[in-house]
Amino acid sequence: MSLQHPEVVRLDLPARYTYLHILSDCIADMLRQIDGIEDHEMLTYNMQLAAHEACTNIVGHAYAGSQSGNERIVISLALFPHPRRLQIELRDTGRSFDPEEVPTPTLDQAQVHGYGLFLMRNLMDSVTYTPQPGDNHWCLVKHL
Amino acid sequence: MEMKTRVAGDVHILEIAGRFDTNTVPPVAAWLEQVTAAPKARVLVNLAETTFVDSTALATLVQALKRCQQVQGDLCVCSLRRPVYMIFELTRLDKAFNIFVDEEHALQALIS
Repeated sequence: MSLQHPEVVRLDLPARYTYLHILSDCIADMLRQIDGIEDHEMLTYNMQLAAHEACTNIVGHAYAGSQSGNERIVISLALFPHPRRLQIELRDTGRSFDPEEVPTPTLDQAQVHGYGLFLMRNLMDSVTYTPQPGDNHWCLVKHL
Repeated sequence: MEMKTRVAGDVHILEIAGRFDTNTVPPVAAWLEQVTAAPKARVLVNLAETTFVDSTALATLVQALKRCQQVQGDLCVCSLRRPVYMIFELTRLDKAFNIFVDEEHALQALIS
């Protein structure tokens, strides 16, 4: 399909690891509609992994220790035709953090921690995080 | 995720089908912790049917590799799908792990 208009999908998920496959499925379904992508399998996987890592950061860190049961991840996935790109926005109401304080993994030696943010930054064209009390915002963009 | 385990000679083999991620890691981590406790533990993780690997899964494999090395054992992975292999390359974990194209080649290396 050649995209003429922006196509937007919104998800509002409980902040639990068990639901993150829904986001992966949604990304695959959206990208499946696009013609002319050079390496569809790799692109889909990379988008899925980057979005998944943002979610695991939210569940594992932003909402760490929260037990109200009302923790959510509000996600907007938008396919834009001009320039053709997938933009994934994620919002949470948990604790914010400073991405600059997260150490980059030392790639010369196998690490146990620190690959999440590294993967996001390397798999997407742009990754921004805007901390705000009660409304932290991730924005991931990949040109297609 | 579905995990199957078996033993070939003295090599403990783990097959993971489906998503290997934060949500599904606990039983895999528990099994790896158990088998890598033995002296000279030899472990093979077959990812032929693994469709998705995230950073927590990578960390789980790294921890198991380090435990194996501490007991003079070895941990190999085999049969990675292309996107999964690319993530190993991106993180340079392809240098840390012995990666084989299939189980047969991995077992040859582990048993010899």
